Amino acid sequence: MLKKYWIIVPAVLLAGAVNLVAEAQQTAPQAGLRENPSRVHALENARIYVRPDLVIDKGVVVIRDGLIVAAGASADIPPDARRWDYSGMTIYPGLIEMFTQAGLSEAGEDETAGSAYWNPSVRPERSAADAYRVSEAEIARLRQSGFAAAMVVADRGVFAGSSAAVNLGSGTPNENLLKRGVFQHVRMKRNRNRTYPASMMGVVALMRQTILDAQWYRNAHAAYATNPRQDRPEDNDALAALDGVIARGQAVLMSVDDDHAFLRAVRLAEEFGLRFLVRGSGHEYRMLEAVREAGAPIILPLDFPRSEDLSVSTPEDAVDVTLEELRHWELAPGNPGQLHRAGIPIALSSTRLGKSAGFHDRVREAIEHGLDYEAALAALTTTPASMLGLSRHLGTLEPGKLANMTITDGPLFAENVGVQDVWVAGNRHVISPRPFVDPRGTWAVVVQEDSLSLSIDGTLGALRGTIDQDGATIKADRMELDDARIAFSVEDEALGEAGVWRFSGSIQGDRVAGRVVRPNGESLSWSAARTAAHEVETSNMPVPAEITEPPTLYPPGAFGRNNPPAQPEYVIVRNATVWTLDDRGKLENADVLIRDGKIAEVGTGLEAPESAVEIDGTGKHVTPGIIDAHSHTAILEGINEGTQAVTAEVGIGDVIDSYDIAMYRELAGGLTAANILHGSANPIGGKNQVIKLRWGMGPEALKFTGARPGIKFALGENVKRSNWRVLSDRYPQTRMGVEQIIRDRFRAAQEYQQAWDRYNALEDKSGVVPPRRDLELETLHEILTGERLVHCHSYRQDEILMLLRVAEDFGFTISTFQHVLEGYKVAPELAAHGAGASAFSDWWAFKVEAYDAIPYNGALMHDAGVLVTFNSDSDELARRLNTEAAKAVKYGGVDEVEALKFVTLNAAKQLAIDPWVGSLEAGKDADFVIWNGHPLSTYTKCEQTWIDGRKYFHVDEDRLMRIEVEKERTRLIQKLLKSPETDDEASDA
Amino acid sequence: MIAIPRLVLGKIPSTKSADGGWWMETMVLLLALGLTAGPMVQDAAASKQRPAGPQAHPIALTGGTVHTVSGDVIEGATVLFESGVITGIGTDLALPENTQVIDVTGKHVYPGLIAAPTTLGLTEIGSVRATHDNVEIGDITPSVRAVTAVNPDSEYFPVGRANGILTALTMPSGGLIAGLSGLIALDGWTTEDMTLDATVGLHVRWPSYRVFDFPGADSREKQIEARQESLTKLRDAFRQARAYMIAKEAERGGGPSHPSDLGWESMIPVLKKELPVFVHASEEKQIHAAIDWALAEDLRIIMVGGADVWRVADRLKEHEIPVIIGAVHYVPARRWEPYDTPFTNALKLYEAGLDFCIGERRVWLEGGGGSNVRNLPYHAATAAAYGLPKEEALKSVTLYPARILGVEDRLGSLETGKDATLIVTDGDPLEIMTQVEQAFIQGRPVDISSKHTDLYDKYQTRLEQVKEK
Repeated sequence: MLKKYWIIVPAVLLAGAVNLVAEAQQTAPQAGLRENPSRVHALENARIYVRPDLVIDKGVVVIRDGLIVAAGASADIPPDARRWDYSGMTIYPGLIEMFTQAGLSEAGEDETAGSAYWNPSVRPERSAADAYRVSEAEIARLRQSGFAAAMVVADRGVFAGSSAAVNLGSGTPNENLLKRGVFQHVRMKRNRNRTYPASMMGVVALMRQTILDAQWYRNAHAAYATNPRQDRPEDNDALAALDGVIARGQAVLMSVDDDHAFLRAVRLAEEFGLRFLVRGSGHEYRMLEAVREAGAPIILPLDFPRSEDLSVSTPEDAVDVTLEELRHWELAPGNPGQLHRAGIPIALSSTRLGKSAGFHDRVREAIEHGLDYEAALAALTTTPASMLGLSRHLGTLEPGKLANMTITDGPLFAENVGVQDVWVAGNRHVISPRPFVDPRGTWAVVVQEDSLSLSIDGTLGALRGTIDQDGATIKADRMELDDARIAFSVEDEALGEAGVWRFSGSIQGDRVAGRVVRPNGESLSWSAARTAAHEVETSNMPVPAEITEPPTLYPPGAFGRNNPPAQPEYVIVRNATVWTLDDRGKLENADVLIRDGKIAEVGTGLEAPESAVEIDGTGKHVTPGIIDAHSHTAILEGINEGTQAVTAEVGIGDVIDSYDIAMYRELAGGLTAANILHGSANPIGGKNQVIKLRWGMGPEALKFTGARPGIKFALGENVKRSNWRVLSDRYPQTRMGVEQIIRDRFRAAQEYQQAWDRYNALEDKSGVVPPRRDLELETLHEILTGERLVHCHSYRQDEILMLLRVAEDFGFTISTFQHVLEGYKVAPELAAHGAGASAFSDWWAFKVEAYDAIPYNGALMHDAGVLVTFNSDSDELARRLNTEAAKAVKYGGVDEVEALKFVTLNAAKQLAIDPWVGSLEAGKDADFVIWNGHPLSTYTKCEQTWIDGRKYFHVDEDRLMRIEVEKERTRLIQKLLKSPETDDEASDA
Repeated sequence: MIAIPRLVLGKIPSTKSADGGWWMETMVLLLALGLTAGPMVQDAAASKQRPAGPQAHPIALTGGTVHTVSGDVIEGATVLFESGVITGIGTDLALPENTQVIDVTGKHVYPGLIAAPTTLGLTEIGSVRATHDNVEIGDITPSVRAVTAVNPDSEYFPVGRANGILTALTMPSGGLIAGLSGLIALDGWTTEDMTLDATVGLHVRWPSYRVFDFPGADSREKQIEARQESLTKLRDAFRQARAYMIAKEAERGGGPSHPSDLGWESMIPVLKKELPVFVHASEEKQIHAAIDWALAEDLRIIMVGGADVWRVADRLKEHEIPVIIGAVHYVPARRWEPYDTPFTNALKLYEAGLDFCIGERRVWLEGGGGSNVRNLPYHAATAAAYGLPKEEALKSVTLYPARILGVEDRLGSLETGKDATLIVTDGDPLEIMTQVEQAFIQGRPVDISSKHTDLYDKYQTRLEQVKEK
């Protein structure tokens, strides 16, 4: 409920305003004559929102020199004031747009002159204040939506530069600039032109490295200033510009476009201790808890999905609309309300709306979906003002604030209510021009002796007149208004003469006097007096509908969960064929006892407490959860950062997609863990991330705690780019060059560490320029120390040997060769080195380097003593790795138990997660699969998949979920079809 | 796999990334257009395996379990074949005098598996354009014939038949009207030796109705316009062919002469319904459109596709249109679809009473398509794991493709009078762990070694040498 107060703002507050000079100060020389219009105004008879929570039904606002002097039910009208009658209008504090590129469109493209950062996506030195131009067209668009001030934000690259607060007035930037350097704008956006960063993980790495560089830059120059007798650190405009963020508390504005980007932004901000706020995606309601925890204010775009974007009118089209899209269509308008109720400061923005003209409709939609009216107002006034740190100047109509006002002819955001005027710093901008006179109302007309009643209504652009005479209604045609002159004609016998009577006259307040030409050409005078004023159609203030908090689904589409699966204290699977894969291999009629998510015991005739969840395993097989040693499931926005030959600084861990439906499908094939790898576009790629397929958990909760960190390397055709249509000129182009670049980087990593060691050994570091932290070399050094495992994409035997020897020269062991199609040719060497092999079971011939691939590869390497796995490298194949293992039996006669290890225990060993998973042994995680038959049989189906003693997949539950999905889709499609928007669209068409 | 497509495309938004049909086709296209122009790689050398000569004397496989597919499973039965044709199956057969008796006691005898459709023989190395002969330039190339360009020395043949794939439909696969497919045996000295039927049908690739919405995609309007243009082109081609047919008939009847057009001419048997049109389509809308079109044009069509076929099963049944399920091993076309949607496709067609068979189509590697045709039986097995009766699964890679390809009188089951194209195994060929031990194509014993077993042997030798040291 909106609280209403009658208040009187004491004029005494005026005392705070200081006015030394009668004229506004300007630095530019005067051209022509000075213009000095009145700068004192009194806006009278209006309803006034002094603040979102303080409304005056009828009052006055007094302005002097661009500032509010008073706003209240009554105030002394200064004698020098120009008086404005705002009867029937409502005055609001001027609205503030928090995210716009208005005025920046003419800003030049990135310049490379000066001491710029090496990467053109990093331009923190850009200043919106410097680039701002008063672009009347762009500003007028914003003013039409009622905005009087705005934050202008450059929107290119990753570090996009500092934003500025401006008044949306005309004139020069000088008059309008309110605050420069407001926020450093950071965008979670990758490049689309094959330049770094082309992947989201590259974006994150670039952000990290840039901030580290800025920290170094500060320290290095400080040291150099005290002692110039050392290698001079470079000058760098960009890093200097970031000093505000890293040392002087300038907040960062993070632009995010999806849920995961939000979480990532929060993590980064926390990692570097940055103050931040977020330009959100509109999906925040799906992860309210995380948003609340982050505590950052959010600038919200209101680009709710439109029903016309979801084509469901034919059943054939409707199948292509996802449940996630349907749900978002239903829930997105409730997002602002939900965030507000969760106590998160929000600002509403017109950004991303094609035409900002529809902005008020969207705000109304948000209100109707649960956003409190007062909160909506605050989200456009006081909250943005406070985000900008300009609460002393903007956001309310309290004395001393800038005279920014938005004036409407009814409740703001209500249907059919429009912005009439926007005042910016005491200057009036007309949005909806009002006529010189308004002729609408009821008039008593006198023509000679006759009296008529004329009523005029309609809009000012299209007036309608009707004459009421003795109960008969006669139409007044061709009614036109030209300033104060009104004209119309009447054709009716009722006036006593056949033909057209033409009236014209001048309106003076509530009187009209003029002449009428009769059909016979005779001219008479007529007059009229207004007997009743035009009744304004009152629009109602939008009201929130009854709020129902939608049940959360995680992930937010089909097969999402309301809650993560429970972990029973005890679970026992009885009387199954259990593939323990320890020394016992395989046990018939055995039981598996699980306690608190761990395997307690595997054996026959086990005892379990009564409370244990009992599963009858008769006729079933139980195996350890399948582990995929090579997967690209659940990666967001780019599997490769292939733009450079070496990208050890990027990591999959930054871009895990906990919404990827592939995970659920893989669970349905018995997969419980996967090694999520960077692609193979470069010799030294990015860091990998081992995950458990805990479907329904967030990205961080998917990560396999304890898994050794790793990295992807790649050799051969992909890194040479030899299959590209366009010839590549990147080094390396040969397998010879591949070796050299790897060696060179390892040398660099060694020397990098030596530099740090020397620096760290200094007793007195003061005045010494420190080494720069380099995330790429740090990662590579972790390989040399053995902390980080190398998983190397490889095909041909020569390149496999090459990397073995490089590793041996640098004193570390290659953890796995991936694909390793010719591994069978050098199996003894692989075994001697101690490298694992993770292969496709039977893919071949897709490239020249894959032409000697044979399905016996796994068996041959296994025979030679190599630790072998079969992997999927595919969201599809990852669903049936159990039968891939069968190919080790078929091609080369590997024993069944050993073959199953190719997709379980061996993978666990290769990823160094075998202390927890890979076999069914007491103490390990309860990650297991229940199959309806022999796990290596093509006729077998996975029935249940458990991780950490939680049931993540069950065929029966799946059946229920798909019914739910169908039901929910049907409901939403019906709702969509019945939604008024769809009707509008239909009638338009 | 194979990082190539991912490398170039990154990942198309995940709700749409998963499909065995259109998505892969797009991949193929990009792969073909953008990536596979490797200029100077060596062509594949000839495979080492030697084709057998014609069956010279009767052969009897005795003592095995004979899976006739069309009829019973007969334990301890004999299969007798002479001059390439089965002349007897039974437990009490009189063998001609010079019969070579092969004791297969404890083993199983099955008809050879039939793969349809593939690009076998037309491509060799995915990334090497010089080894691709499956995509001719142009949208309308009806006259090109796959069998013309089959390389009998492709390594794919020994690899395929080693797992019991003895017959395959090989097809051109570019443009809208791709050309004519042919049926080949996976053994023979020359293309002509291998060819069982040089023109099985005309392949039409129905334009997709999907509108892509990922960064860099054309506008919605542009995409729709392009599709409509393709549809018009496709429809118009058949009208033109019909006009050509009429003009040629008029010419023969003494009318004015009409110059030849190989394209339209090749379509005449299709227009006369002597040959079917294989319509490649996976989306519901495509399939409806193709049925409407076939009815209007009075054509005999066979639907080849995946994802949505089951949604249109009733209508396909109504018009008795057979379906080749392109593959079973792919991911659901849409994020919200049940995980087993591709696995249960065949079951739904079976329940609707449709004529169907199952293929192995690695479409997205069309340039190397068929390299893993050996996994065909496992596609059928997965369909069985998810509800299709096992016998039906077996038929879907033997008898049913034979029926749909019009060679039911020669292939697909073990019956007297049919070709002796069969395999001897140590178990169910739909199980991965089963070994194919012998194979016969038209009675000729086929070498079931391959480049893969050769390299296996060779590097076993190396292992032994190393171990001895």
